[in-house]
Amino acid sequence: MSNETGGPLPLAGLVVLDVSSFIAAPAAAVALADFGADVIKVEPPDGDPHRQSYNSANYPRGDKQVNFPWQLDGRLKRSIALDLKNDQARAVLARLIKRADIMIVNFPPPARERLRLRWEDIEPVNPRLVYCSLTGYGETGPDRDRAGFDVTAYFGRSGILDSARYEDGPPGLSLPAQGDRATAMTLVAAILLGLRHRDQTGKGCWVGTSLYANGVWANGTSAAGALVGAKLLPRQSPDKPRNALTNLYRTKDDRWLQLIMVRDDRLFQPFCRAIGRDDLLADPRFADRERRKEYAIDLHRELAPMFAEKTYEEWERLLSPLGIPIGVIGRLADVIEDDQAQHAGIFADTTNPEIPRTVNNPIRLGFARPRTAGPPPKIGEHSDQILRELAYSDGEIAALKKSGAFG
Amino acid sequence: MSEYALPLAGLRVLDISSFIAAPAAAVVLGDWGADVIKVEGPEGDPNRRIMHDSSNYPKSEVNYPWEMDSRNKRSIVLDLKKPEARAALDRLIATSDVLICNFPPPVRDKLRLAYEHTKKVNPKLIYASLTGYGETGPDRDRPGFDATAYFARSGLLDAQRYEGGPPGVPGPAQGDRATAMALVSAILMALIHRMKTGEGSWVGTSLLGNGLWSCGVIAQGALVGAFLPPRPPPDRPRSALGNIYRTADDRWLQLTIVRTDKLWAPLCQALELPELIDDPRFAVEAERRTRSAELAAILSTTFAKKPYEHWRKALAAREVTFGVISRPQDVPDDEQAVACGAVVETAIANMPRTLSNPIRVSFAEQRKAHPAPALGEHSEQILRDAGLSADEVAALRQSGAMR
Repeated sequence: MSNETGGPLPLAGLVVLDVSSFIAAPAAAVALADFGADVIKVEPPDGDPHRQSYNSANYPRGDKQVNFPWQLDGRLKRSIALDLKNDQARAVLARLIKRADIMIVNFPPPARERLRLRWEDIEPVNPRLVYCSLTGYGETGPDRDRAGFDVTAYFGRSGILDSARYEDGPPGLSLPAQGDRATAMTLVAAILLGLRHRDQTGKGCWVGTSLYANGVWANGTSAAGALVGAKLLPRQSPDKPRNALTNLYRTKDDRWLQLIMVRDDRLFQPFCRAIGRDDLLADPRFADRERRKEYAIDLHRELAPMFAEKTYEEWERLLSPLGIPIGVIGRLADVIEDDQAQHAGIFADTTNPEIPRTVNNPIRLGFARPRTAGPPPKIGEHSDQILRELAYSDGEIAALKKSGAFG
Repeated sequence: MSEYALPLAGLRVLDISSFIAAPAAAVVLGDWGADVIKVEGPEGDPNRRIMHDSSNYPKSEVNYPWEMDSRNKRSIVLDLKKPEARAALDRLIATSDVLICNFPPPVRDKLRLAYEHTKKVNPKLIYASLTGYGETGPDRDRPGFDATAYFARSGLLDAQRYEGGPPGVPGPAQGDRATAMALVSAILMALIHRMKTGEGSWVGTSLLGNGLWSCGVIAQGALVGAFLPPRPPPDRPRSALGNIYRTADDRWLQLTIVRTDKLWAPLCQALELPELIDDPRFAVEAERRTRSAELAAILSTTFAKKPYEHWRKALAAREVTFGVISRPQDVPDDEQAVACGAVVETAIANMPRTLSNPIRVSFAEQRKAHPAPALGEHSEQILRDAGLSADEVAALRQSGAMR
């Protein structure tokens, strides 16, 4: 059991340079900060463009304009604004790199070359650094230089959206940053492996992942099937299922209930008894698993009107005690009030009046709690503070400002 | 590449879990060198049969889901309801570093496999728990699957629908595999903690938590009262520059232009519609939004005239961001899928290629996949390694506690 004590955080004392933009890479830095790392966001003078994402047509809208995506992905970070094209700013970055443990970069490879920010450029400056690279499509190959977003690299290219469509329908939909945030967990794992390597050998290293590889990994079952020539059948719409016992049904209160009776060998009988349909057990069309699949449409015809007679709540009360897996198609409006989500440690209170509650990263530790989030930094909010930590004098800082190193 | 040992070499992992998310995390640890022992009941992990049991799985002669989720593991069969088997498991726990468990909490209590129990046997053990819905609360005992806990309960499927349409459809095990990476991260955090303090610990994650993390942007939106408007179908998008279009050869192409100010002119050039650049109807972003259906109609007619390959080159030449909607069967032959390390070779005769886990490091390569174990293939070897005598092993076998 999780006796979540407030013990020392596992990443306390580590300095992370978040030289990245938008979501997957910065979200990995967030998870490191949650567990104690000191994350310094190195931003261009006009800031990470993700500061403006909330204006996107595909982002949620509310009555008042809260910049919640930035609040989420900028939490617990400090910001220094540096114009990396400026030589003096570049010298500041080198000093930051010297005392950092981890550096996260997601520039496309050509920009890294231009800015001399590849691992081979950085390693001489700090050979103990864990350099973490995120790309859209990998470090080599015909598309390595292409900018990748989660909707293109993670969802589109990997085959997920094609798999997620109903027969003859348009491709499935992904949500803003959905693949980015899943990819962030891979980056965290890669970084922790890198730290382990450093502990074992005393040497830094390059670690990384790509949005494309993460999409393929998530879609791994279908992709592994494709590798042996097995093709995913198009998903039939809920009224024409291939298996009526793993299907969607609309309930009386116009919600969708998802029946997931994978072990129908064990569960079909108690299910029929519970719904008062012993006749289905006697029906030769539904006598065993193979026949239930063969006659899936017939079985659906029996079940659909029945599911429409009770509310979701009533179904849950009836089926849950039997161990029959069902799921509601949750609506976010309900999820944020879901008692179980609180128990699972999914949401956390913040000290940030703009967003009093936030979404925790999904890692739970018995020995430490994630840090409480405050407001994310303004562009360059901590520039002076960070420079002083690097032993820059007031005079030097003033000179840097004048030189345009901060934009 | 291989001058160093794999980063997890020397670690022993007990995979006491079934189906996909938790076993997939064990796969990743095995890929990086851990010795993974799969502890199965007499009937074996039901994932051995899922390809046949689930209608949503592509069928094949090769049991590819099982091969993928069990590569490089050894298998021991223990009937944990029998006290002799449970005692043998303690011997394994005493010599292991990590235990991965995804039994629902009541089963853990019944089998004395909660963290409190294993901690007494091995205080340095890292106990990694996967649940559907968390460790406490009204639904903690409910079995969770990725379709229910990760996708449905989290609000993902409701949000992934076109206006008026049915909920979105998750691909098989899609949320499970994403969750596996969070579980791996949790275990690696615990290894750091153990190195610093010498102590084992409990770590874990839930499918529901991972589903909500992945849709964190819209979940955070909901927390401040901001919601996604229903997604209009492709012929009346909110933004015509962030929309999908069908090409002449019946494929789909996805425009994902975020920085519309910069890319509007290059897009018009790529589409050979230069007159649109300064067309007052579309010249500024606000106008393009207002007239998005009108603009989508123009783009849709244009994209339908030429095949995907033409558009791919034309857009790439002008650095316009877009993606193709690949079909899963396109991925194995995609050179870039090999370049990014997603598709790798195996040592499995009837499944020569598989998917590597998405972590890349400069100092080591993931282990090559060898065939997944037969049920109980390594039972005797594993018990002998744990210090049981040949007689003890024979007695266990005879009692039916082990196979």
